[in-house]
Parts: sequence; structure tokens; C-alpha cells
Amino acid sequence: MEGGNRNRGFSFSQTRRRGGDRVSTFGERGTAKCSRGRSSASTSDLNNTQEDAQPSSNFVGTCPYMCPERERIQREKLRDLAVFERLNGNPGKSSPALVVKKFCRTISTKYVQASDMRPITVLEDTLNYLLSLLESKEHSFEVVHDFVFDRTRSIRQDLTMQNIVNNKAVYMYEGMVKFHVVSHYKLWCSISDPNTASVHHLNLEQLTKTLASLLNLYEVNRNSNHVHEKEAEFHSLYVLLHLGSSSQPMGEPLSLWFRRLSTPVLKSKEICFARRILRSFRLGNYKDFFCTAAAQASYLQFCVLMPYINEVRAMALSCINFGGYKLHPYPLLDLSEHLMIKESDLDSFCNYCGLETCTDESGNKLLPTKQTTFNHPKGGFQNYSFLGLQEYER
Amino acid sequence: MAYMSMGEAHRRVTEFLNRFSDAISCQDGASFKSLFSLSSNSPFLLSLADALNLIQDAATTRLINQSDNYSQFADILLPLFRSIQTYRQGNLLEAYNAFEKTANAFIQEFRNWESAWALKTLYVIVYDIRVLAEKADRELASNGKSPEKLKGAGSVLMKVFGTLAGKGSKRVGALYVTCQLFKIYFKLGTVHLCRSVIRSIETARIFDFEEFPKRDKVTYMYYTGRLEVFNENFPAADYKLSYALTYCNPQSEANIRMILKHLIPVKLSIGILPKHSLLEKYNLLEYSDIVQALRRGDLRLLRGALQDHEDQFLRSGVYLVLEKLELQVYQRLVKKIYNIQKQKDPSKAHQVKLEVIVKAMKWLEIDMDVDEVECIMAILIYKNLIKGYFAHKSKVVVLSKADPFPKLNGKPVSS
Repeated sequence: MEGGNRNRGFSFSQTRRRGGDRVSTFGERGTAKCSRGRSSASTSDLNNTQEDAQPSSNFVGTCPYMCPERERIQREKLRDLAVFERLNGNPGKSSPALVVKKFCRTISTKYVQASDMRPITVLEDTLNYLLSLLESKEHSFEVVHDFVFDRTRSIRQDLTMQNIVNNKAVYMYEGMVKFHVVSHYKLWCSISDPNTASVHHLNLEQLTKTLASLLNLYEVNRNSNHVHEKEAEFHSLYVLLHLGSSSQPMGEPLSLWFRRLSTPVLKSKEICFARRILRSFRLGNYKDFFCTAAAQASYLQFCVLMPYINEVRAMALSCINFGGYKLHPYPLLDLSEHLMIKESDLDSFCNYCGLETCTDESGNKLLPTKQTTFNHPKGGFQNYSFLGLQEYER
Repeated sequence: MAYMSMGEAHRRVTEFLNRFSDAISCQDGASFKSLFSLSSNSPFLLSLADALNLIQDAATTRLINQSDNYSQFADILLPLFRSIQTYRQGNLLEAYNAFEKTANAFIQEFRNWESAWALKTLYVIVYDIRVLAEKADRELASNGKSPEKLKGAGSVLMKVFGTLAGKGSKRVGALYVTCQLFKIYFKLGTVHLCRSVIRSIETARIFDFEEFPKRDKVTYMYYTGRLEVFNENFPAADYKLSYALTYCNPQSEANIRMILKHLIPVKLSIGILPKHSLLEKYNLLEYSDIVQALRRGDLRLLRGALQDHEDQFLRSGVYLVLEKLELQVYQRLVKKIYNIQKQKDPSKAHQVKLEVIVKAMKWLEIDMDVDEVECIMAILIYKNLIKGYFAHKSKVVVLSKADPFPKLNGKPVSS
């Protein structure tokens, strides 16, 4: 089997057949033989001789398990097993069905053996297994996130080192980006906890890296006849990540990035949605922002948007406070509809922004304008609901 | 292709080698640079390529070794020959890889030459390495591989920049190399990498900006001006792009057009509208509807123009800036309504019912409810595009009696 990067158009089952007995059955003992190994060093000194960081394109892994045997044995000895990897809760005992290869920061192509690398079929099964853990109710979200975060990073490392860039890699990266996006939202929900803040930041870092790789993979696979249904949606997530004041998470200005979009992606409803949201945000049109988001956001888009909605709400408050007629305090009920927030939450949000609210004779809550105490909260916003999209909230 | 004998082929290669060594010994920059200019497709290099095709590599090596004058430069010559040959054959990836080796070897020699006699040759090499890298990347992409050569060329250019960042006469070349680096980073989208060279040029004491050739200064200001546009730093963008426009060669209409393409959105963002004659002269009519929309307060025209020319505006990277002009268009629309009301009944003119604005929008075929209109009025007031206040209960905007629609006067809309 080739290095996996020419398998265009093959269905999943066909490739499995070609992979033969390398389909992972976790009960088996692996044959730690080195197959094919690395390509012979090129004799022409004019070829690209970048080393180490570059994957060798003919390198094919042979590890049949989610974790290379020698790593599993070593970690059992050192009692370095995550909760999910322990057999019956024993921190010193595991099984090939439970242990997953850890991410290794200091890896170099020189010292890697084929038996340490998992081939594409094993990687796919490993990823499916990891993503299934996200449904688990047994452990807290943070614990699950930590484990999946690290182990998917290792999967990406294996994919890179074997230079697997075909459609299978695309699907895998889509799954991993989705994981990071959902974590982005869930971690943000508890971001007032100082520990969560740093986990959130690290997750965002990997989110942007993984997403950038995914978008690159779409490009590389442009010539295959395969249509990736989620391509437009993932591109839209890239746009939405540029909301907010720190607007260049990827280093490339969004204005330049738009140039590279293919026409079908550019005209897609997902990109049109993202561009409209971006425009409303930049113009300060909070009404259109919330209406559009409520009407069209998918779950993943919702996850990316949520950390920004309070920024929009704060801006709306400052505009209303600044320009509203002093003798007509603004009814919170009306404002809560525009900002798609529960009225009671809006009340506390006003207070959080340094604004007082009052009540009229009929018991209606009002926001007096021209207050001088407004200040933009520094982050660590509390999680208020998004009334238009409650079906996404968990 | 006419038949060439082996003897003739050898003769051509030797002639090249002699030109090479003569140029170095006489420090003849003009002749020297023509030996490296692959992208110029000069007949001389093309015929050399044909000659090289006939000769085995081993024979080429022997030819190089036949004289000390050029054997000492084998590290430059061997990959250069390979590059010339493969370029002619259309193998652009190989041509780039070989040229990169030539460039690296050349930099080593260049460091040893005291004077700046070979500076123009260095320019040729820097230019060609970029152009070759772009072609190689196109070839890679069309074969379904990841394009990475332009990125590599950027690294080589950073090395070149390093050799020029010194006290000698070579330092005037640094700005040219900087501009080539800008072109690479802009093409790759990695414009954040521009920061380090900009810092070197603008803060290092060895560099005096005024010393650099005018042409390079114009190019530099053009690119740094565009960076300011990306950061929406309009006053700085205005200064830099205007500098480029002022000192640009008046004969190069294409360059003027490029500068204007980015300067006009900046000017529009600070409330300065270009004359239609300017747009006509430089074929920038994609902006004419936008200018009209700003004059008339016609939101439909603005959105239509953005849609009609979306490709162009996205490609030049000005789309997002133009989108933000909506706020000024709203301002103009409200001002028009105010003026009309002033004619009918001056005493009541300063009160504009939100319903009237909703109607005006409907007339422009834009669907906006009264809540959204109020939202927009609140923003305009907050950003000082309108002076006054809005009353939610009475659904009305009350304009201040004095100067209700402050002009931008060269300043951007406050954020």
C-alpha cells in the first residue's frame, strides 16, 4: 500500500481491504516488524534536504494498536495511565483496548520506528474511540477534554509524520476541529474559574492550528472528485473566529484570506452568514447581529459565536446609554428582545457593566440613560443565555 | 531547433564561464547580472540551456574545472547550470531548487566582495528566486502537492537582508530586498512576518531612510501603507499611500493605479471623495457607484456596488473597509431627510421620526424594521456621526440644533 497520500476516490471499505490484516483488533498481539520503513536517502544533492521537521513521504506506520506496545508497557510500569486507560481503575494496569498513544513534544523523524506509528486505519479507529468518550457521563467535562485534547494531538502528529493528506485525513481533521470548537464553547461557559481560562486558551491555540491544517487539506484535495459537504461550514468558522477586538488569531488578515476562497465556498450560505455576522459586528448593528445569528447559526457556528455575544451586548448598552433620551429610560423588556437575553439576566448584565436599572410604578424594569459609570467589563463574562438558540445550549 | 554540434555546445558553455569570470575580475556588474536572469528568457541563456541539454553532467563539471578562474565558483555555477537547463525544460520545481542553491552560494561570495559592485546582480537573483518560487509552487499545487517554495524563498531573502544590514555601501540595497520580501509575504498572506524587517528598516541606526533609492521608497510606502489598511489605521495608511502616490513615477500609470486602488478606500473612510475624472483617468470605475452612494445616502447603491465588484474588492483586500462605509451612507440619508423636512417646516425639522427612515429604506428596497433603525441611530450618535439623541418611547431621533451631522474632515469614524 502506498503512503496513503494517493488514495483518491477510494471508499472506506475498499481501503480497508487493501490494508488487509492491519485492521486493528485490539486483542491481538502486534508483530513489531518494520515494514517498508523509510525511503532511501536521495542521492541527488539537489533534492530538498530539509530534515527532521519534514515528514518522509513514504513512511508507513505498522502499529496495530491505539498505542505502541513499548509505550504501553513503559507507562504501565511508571503508573502513567490516564483514568480512561486504567483496567478496573488500577493505575498500574491497562490493556491495548484502553491505552492511547500520548502526544510527544520532542519527537524527531530520525529515531521513530514504523512500529511506533499508527497507520491510517488504526488512526481512524482511535479517533472514533476518543470522540465517543465525549458522550461519557462518568467523568467531568474537563477531565474528558484533557484526555481527548492530548490524544488527538498525537493523532495529528502521526498523520503529519506519515504525510497523510488524503480525504481520510480531511474527515479526521473535521472531527478534531469539531471537538475543539465544542470545547471552546463548553470551557468558555466556566471561564470564570482561573484554571479553565488557561485550558480555554490552549484549546483555542490548537483549534486555530487544526482548523488551518484542515483548510489546507481541502486545498490539497481540490483535484479529487470528492465533495466535502462541511467545507463551507468550516471555512465559516474561520471567519467567525475573527470577531472580537483581537482580530488576527491566525496572523493573516481576513481581507487577504478571502482572496483564496474558491467560488463555491465564497457563495455558500455558511460563508454568507459569517460575512453578514462579521459586518453587523463591525458596524455595531446589534439588532441584525442577534437576529441573523438566531435565524441561521448552526451548532458549531453557535459555539464559536458565543464568546463574542456579550461583547456585542456591552456595546449595545454603551450606545443606548450614550444616545438615549434622558427622560425616557429604556425598557429592559424591549432591550432584552433585541439582545436575545432573559430580562433578569439583562438586569444583572447592566449592573455588571456599571449601569443601574430602576423600576416604574407598574413594576417594569428600566435602564436610565446618560449614566457616567459605564465600563466595558474586562472579560470573564458570565454565561448568559442566547434566547434564540437555546436548543444548542447544554 | 537548429542542429547543434557537441563542439558548439562546449563552446557556448565555455563562453558563459569566461563571461562569468571576466565579470568578476573586472567587477563588471552590468554583464554579471545578465548571467543570472533566468526569468528574462534572454536568447543567450536559452541557447546555453540548449547546449547544456546536449552535454552530460560529468562533461559540464570537467568544463568548469578546466580553469581556476571559474572552478573556484563551482558551488554557484553547477546549480546555476542545472537551473537554467531545467527551467528551459519546464521543470520548474527543479529549476527553483537548483537556483536556491546558487543563491545561497552567491551570498557567501558576495559577502567577501568589499564594494557594492555586484549589488544589481544580487537584485536579479533576489527577484528571480521569488518568481521561480511562485512558478514552482504553481507546479506543486497543480500536482496536488503542498506549495512550499515561496516560503523557502522568503527564508533566503531574509538571509540576503542580513548580509546587507551592515555599515558598508551595500546597505542601500536593503530596501529593495525588503520590498521583494513584502511581495512574498503578501502573496502567502503571512503579512505578520513583515514586522521584523520593518522594524529593522525603521529603527536600525545604520539605515537612513532618505538614502534609499526613490523607487524603493515608493514601493516600501505602498506595502506598509497597505498593512496600515489591514489594521484599519487610516491616518497612517493615508500618509504612507499618499507618499507613494506623490513620489511615484508619473509615467507609470499602472503603479499609480495600484496605489490609488488602495488609497481611495482610505480616503473614503476619512470622508474625502475622489473626483469622477480621477476614477476615469485611472480606470477605477468600480469605485464610482460607491462614491455616488456616499453622496446620495443610497444604501442600496452601496450594497449593489459591493456585490457587483465583489471579486475585485476581495482580491485587492479592500472589501471589509468599503463595507464599513455604510455608517457614512446612513448619516447622509438622515441628513437628506432632515434637509427635506427643513424646507417643509424648519421649526420641526430637527425631529426625525424613525418611521420616516423605515419608509426611506423601503423605498430603497431594504427591509428594516423600526427597532433596527433605532439601533443604527444609536450607533451613529455614539460614533459622533449624528449629534443628538433618540427617544425610544416616541420612536424619534432628535437632532441637535448646531451641526447635527459633523463632517469627518480627514479623520476616521470614531470606534
